[in-house]
Amino acid sequence: MLLFDIALPGLVLGGMYALIALGLTLQYGVARIMNLSYGESLVAAAFGALSLYTGLGLSPLMALLLAVPCAVLINWLLYRFLLERLMRRGKDRGAQEIDSILVTFGVLFVIQGIMLIAFGGQYYSYSYLSIPVVVLGTTLAVNRLVALLFAAAIGIAVYLALTRTRVGTAVRAVAVDANAARLVGIDVAAMSGLTFAFGGGLVAIGGVLISMFLTFNASMGVIFTMKALVVVIMGGVGNVLGALVAGLMLGVVETAVARLVDPGLTLAATYALFLGVLLIKPTGLFGRAAS
Amino acid sequence: MLEISALSHFYGKHQALAEIALDIASGEIVAILGANGAGKSTLLKMIAGLIKPAPGLTLRFEGADIAELPAHLIVERGIALVPEGRGIFGELTVAENLQLGAYPARARASEADRLAKVLALFPRLTERMTQAVRTMSGGEQQMVAIGRALMSNPTLLLLDEPSLGLSPLLSREVFRALKQIRESGVSVLLVEQNARASLDIADRVYLIESGRNAGSGSAGEMKNNPDIQRAYLGKARAPSSPSQP
Repeated sequence: MLLFDIALPGLVLGGMYALIALGLTLQYGVARIMNLSYGESLVAAAFGALSLYTGLGLSPLMALLLAVPCAVLINWLLYRFLLERLMRRGKDRGAQEIDSILVTFGVLFVIQGIMLIAFGGQYYSYSYLSIPVVVLGTTLAVNRLVALLFAAAIGIAVYLALTRTRVGTAVRAVAVDANAARLVGIDVAAMSGLTFAFGGGLVAIGGVLISMFLTFNASMGVIFTMKALVVVIMGGVGNVLGALVAGLMLGVVETAVARLVDPGLTLAATYALFLGVLLIKPTGLFGRAAS
Repeated sequence: MLEISALSHFYGKHQALAEIALDIASGEIVAILGANGAGKSTLLKMIAGLIKPAPGLTLRFEGADIAELPAHLIVERGIALVPEGRGIFGELTVAENLQLGAYPARARASEADRLAKVLALFPRLTERMTQAVRTMSGGEQQMVAIGRALMSNPTLLLLDEPSLGLSPLLSREVFRALKQIRESGVSVLLVEQNARASLDIADRVYLIESGRNAGSGSAGEMKNNPDIQRAYLGKARAPSSPSQP
């Protein structure tokens, strides 16, 4: 049935977008780092999963147990020893943003360079759980379903953690007003570092899951950064629910356009949707009202 | 409980505060009066750790030097600031703002108890718990701001212009609340434009002009001081006042 032919793959794609955007919206909204090397982290995690699978025969789902703690640690070190200094030095939000963009732009090339040396420029993919199953009349590979389930579970868990726990509320408080957060006893620098690291963990999950069914190469990180950025801005910067909804929306719209009109128009559809949302709500779907 | 001496601050080359001295005893309400731009807000922000003072000062709270502590650790010592413009989390609900107030470790154990006390002090917050704070009136936002500060279990409450932008009725309610807060054992340091209301509830008053100490005394003395009456209470000198037809 056509509806499910679009809805299911659309949700798989959208779930990936939502998961990737979730990490970026936390890094940008809470830690105030516009991380341009975000997509490269994702591709690095994908290569990590590939290496573990082809080299050691470790399944990507087991690779998560290794890749996520590594990504969290690396991102935390990156924040603690590089970005935090910039944040302290920047006079205002604007200066901090420009500094963080420039530095992460550099980090982008470092990660990309390492991957190019290690893997070269060619495309990679591997076959894991690529068994077709029929769901609601639509044929889908099992690995895509697994990815969707993971994305859904993680998205819901992160949303609940941020809205229902004390630490989650503190994270949102930092996103709303960092100075006021200091006045209620929140160590803003430490909280930003942890949130940045956590966002890095989320992108690593995204990279490992995507590597199960997507063909990738060392220099395609920027595509993921752009998509994540579109979703984050469309949903409202720093808004978790916004990232989830906008991500799913984008995935379904892209799949519908590819299926019904022309696959070459997906990028056009992405930006048409993006512009449409921003014309109606300049601060994003769930963005705070401009004050 | 709070002792300050030789506290100075520079914004670039401009000296905002020069050699300020001030002390607060336990259970007191102390008001700081002074014109706009006299450096009063800067002083409160320094006590709260949001701005670092120039070196060489004394800033002691309950006997311990707190000059080098960051803001989040000063809250843990028992000093809570209600900043100018309230500094509440507009996107979050009243309940979340109050819950965040109890974020410091010193406040966790008594959170439920303190919440009940805050709601007893400001009953109208009770039915607004799930409302986003930015959609509320100025007076209600001020109640959230004061309530949030009290949730951190402070022994000293700093307030920067709590009646700014409020109607006379709501201002009275805020000052009434401050009296009750003091009765519950919390000391209060208040910066206000509303000199009359401040003198009514304060025990002692400091004057700060152009960033310098310009006098201090009990609230009663200050109220009867003709200079204070002229400068802060809007009373002209009785004999020379020209009578209007």
